[in-house]
Amino acid sequence: MTPLSSRFLKALCVGGAASLVLGACGGSNTPGTGGLAADQTLKFPILDDYATLDPAVADAETDQEIGQNMFNGLVKFDNSLNVVPDIAASMPAVSSDGLTYTFTLRKDVTFSNGDKVTSKDVLYSWNRAASMSGAYGTSYGGNLSPIVGYSTASGNKVVGAKLETLLEAKDPTVTMSGLTAPDDYTVVAKLKSPAGWWLSAIALTDSTGMVVDQNAVKQDFDNWWSNPATAIGTGPFKMTSRIAKQSEDFAAVSNWWGSPKPTLTKVHIDVLQSAASAITAYEQGSYDLYGYGGWSQAAGVADIKRIQATANEKDQLLLQPKVRTTWVTFNMVSDASRTGGGPFTLAGGQTAHDLRMAFALAVDKKKLAEVVCGNILCSAATGGLITKGLTGYLGDGADPLAAYDPVKAKALLKSADPTGTKTANLTYAYDPETPIFKDSAVFLQDQWQTNLGVKVNLIAVSHHAFILARLAGKYSFSRDGWQADYNHPQDWFSGLYGSALGCPDSGCTSGYSTPAFDALLAKANAEPLDAALPDYKALSQMLISDVVYIPLFYSVGAFLIKPYVSGAGSNNFVDYSWANIQIHSH
Amino acid sequence: MFTRGTLIFIGQRVVLIAFTVLAVSSIVFLGIHRLPGDALFNEHLHGEQYALLLHHYNLDKPLLVQYRDFMIALVTRGDLGESLVNRGVKITPLVLRELGISVEVGGFALVFTIGLGLLFGVVASVRQNTWVDYVLSTTSVIGYSMPNFVIASFLILVFGKWLEGVTGGTFYYQLGAWKGDIGQLWLPAFALGFPYASIVARLTRASMLEVIRQDYIRTARAKGLRETVIVARHALRNALIPVITILGPLAIGIITGSVVIENLFGIPGLGKEFAQSILNRDYFIVIGVFTMYAAMVGLANLVVDLLYVVIDPRIRY
Repeated sequence: MTPLSSRFLKALCVGGAASLVLGACGGSNTPGTGGLAADQTLKFPILDDYATLDPAVADAETDQEIGQNMFNGLVKFDNSLNVVPDIAASMPAVSSDGLTYTFTLRKDVTFSNGDKVTSKDVLYSWNRAASMSGAYGTSYGGNLSPIVGYSTASGNKVVGAKLETLLEAKDPTVTMSGLTAPDDYTVVAKLKSPAGWWLSAIALTDSTGMVVDQNAVKQDFDNWWSNPATAIGTGPFKMTSRIAKQSEDFAAVSNWWGSPKPTLTKVHIDVLQSAASAITAYEQGSYDLYGYGGWSQAAGVADIKRIQATANEKDQLLLQPKVRTTWVTFNMVSDASRTGGGPFTLAGGQTAHDLRMAFALAVDKKKLAEVVCGNILCSAATGGLITKGLTGYLGDGADPLAAYDPVKAKALLKSADPTGTKTANLTYAYDPETPIFKDSAVFLQDQWQTNLGVKVNLIAVSHHAFILARLAGKYSFSRDGWQADYNHPQDWFSGLYGSALGCPDSGCTSGYSTPAFDALLAKANAEPLDAALPDYKALSQMLISDVVYIPLFYSVGAFLIKPYVSGAGSNNFVDYSWANIQIHSH
Repeated sequence: MFTRGTLIFIGQRVVLIAFTVLAVSSIVFLGIHRLPGDALFNEHLHGEQYALLLHHYNLDKPLLVQYRDFMIALVTRGDLGESLVNRGVKITPLVLRELGISVEVGGFALVFTIGLGLLFGVVASVRQNTWVDYVLSTTSVIGYSMPNFVIASFLILVFGKWLEGVTGGTFYYQLGAWKGDIGQLWLPAFALGFPYASIVARLTRASMLEVIRQDYIRTARAKGLRETVIVARHALRNALIPVITILGPLAIGIITGSVVIENLFGIPGLGKEFAQSILNRDYFIVIGVFTMYAAMVGLANLVVDLLYVVIDPRIRY
């Protein structure tokens, strides 16, 4: 065979090689410090698109993290989680009986399209949110539930443009009678009964307490928020483009009424999917931040450990306690509706109490946090049910259920179950979709086996079925947890325990309710926070005294922030507003 | 080239593809609703609020009623519905946009598959039993022995990490803001196409070795034709027939392989949506993605069948 000419071969090879290296060249960032950068564009990734930015229906963390930069309410949480005025000029005047809240609005507040914000906008926004809560099944409509007439509005079943027509006509079926506007800058809310938690609830970011522009909403009642032309809010930023599930762009609102005035001119968000990819992209200079938008808890422990061990990156890491507590819940009631039974129920008296305590003391919570999250993305829950950093937290080490005392645990077990019959064939249920829950279950099984000599079977149940079964009292003990909605103890206790919630037979994971608990919870919920706080702490002590749960860990978020970015960060609940952020020369 | 018979063949196949797409949609519709969980349920939202939400999305209706409504919308308006997770997002334009991105990546991967495959195969055959042949043949064996996700991870490691100083991490840069330019495309396309390029290379080499021993090639050389002309014009054309034969399965492999590659590289295409929508239980997006995949596979097969006519004039439909 005659060989090919070397020129032809070279041409083929050069072509192939060229195709391999094509596009391989690109720029890289070299961080530095200095004055403000000329380009004030902030770039960061999120790992799934927001579901909606409409405050009336938004309920996901990402929705609220993004939406907080577009919408304001009458009050808000500051960075230290205190409720402070926002669109309201001052905190509302509250009548002595705690039933009437009078808000005076600032007169300089405008929407991003220039429309002035008046009390009519507040009434429209809140009536809209209340009337959508029934027909749309929203999560946070209940934040407005203390207002007289809420139940009428939330009973509405009309949706879309027809609902808008009713709202425009101020139809009584979609109007809360307790909400009035004596003048353009005064809003009066009359409550059915005192609710000391209400201001905290309506301060929740991008939720039912926010104010929207009827002129924008009525152009597309359900999807106005997704179109830059109609996504009008009062916040420091407005949407300029959106490619659903791919990327979003926002721009600062010129002459924004609030403070601090935004330094950033643009914010670009990419919708990625993998935390590992997003972190790598951050490290390669594609992004200025990682963790914003509600994704601070998605990072892998290995990635965070690697960053901690990297000299030029470790200072960019911010670990921030967040708002979720995870615990083991006992089935406290066994009846016709709750058929899980088990040896831990309140009806079992002191014996059951000792068993619960034995299982609690047999778990080394600090070791658990080390094993399941490297003590990085969670911390041992030692200060009660309410997460560290939130109002109602009992203090480090204040929860006796968090103690690790295998000797006492063994002794309690021996006295409560000398023959081992009560603890034979116990099954612990969990939902395995979240890896940390699976790791925790395996750890707990080992601790109970090692420290109590009790073999506990594990059952993994898919999340949906698990939640339903747990609410129906099908498990003798199981994984449980709560992510706070707003910074008020009422959110925890009213959402988890007591007959007002529906315990023992409806909407209640443990089934726990006692007359004393119910009475104190009702009293606390009616009081202003200062007066209520001792009562809420007493409620925590009731749960501890009755050993209703085994505390496991509090969540921690991991943020990465480039050295040239200032003003970024987070409190337990939300990212600091984009309006705080500046980009320095680098 | 397109005779009446060919047009009839195309028409029949298009009808068949349409029926296949509808069948896939139906099976997925009924199957996805059997999975535990849904897009709306969460730890905080249950009881009455959850029931209201199900009602709002018509998910409380009997499954067959939901199926009927879905099929009517799909057949009459091409409407796949709205996302359950991302409110207001229409699925038909969403999956069409993502399909465009996937086609872009897949098309470029096919260029690698054919280009590199032919290059390796031809060079290896004309340099048979030399070090060039050994290197290229070994590379091909490695290529089709490794799954594409291994190749992709390795390439990310090399070009994204080890050579970051040179590349600036090009493959992550701009991935979210997908522009589909060559700087973004080449690495994922290579990872997707290389295993199949190796198969094409092996097949081309074998086919070329057979063809270049034929009498007509010897005659061409005797006539004094240049070697490049002999290989490119006379040998390669005949050697391509068996290669074209496997292009159908290769195209399907590339389409399905994009699920892994798009997730690894964060490309906002159909493959990434495939995984995410199933995890989110976003019923209608899952159906939309499967429907698009079914259509793509059907059309890819049709295109390959039509290519036979182009390559081999003896084939007629």
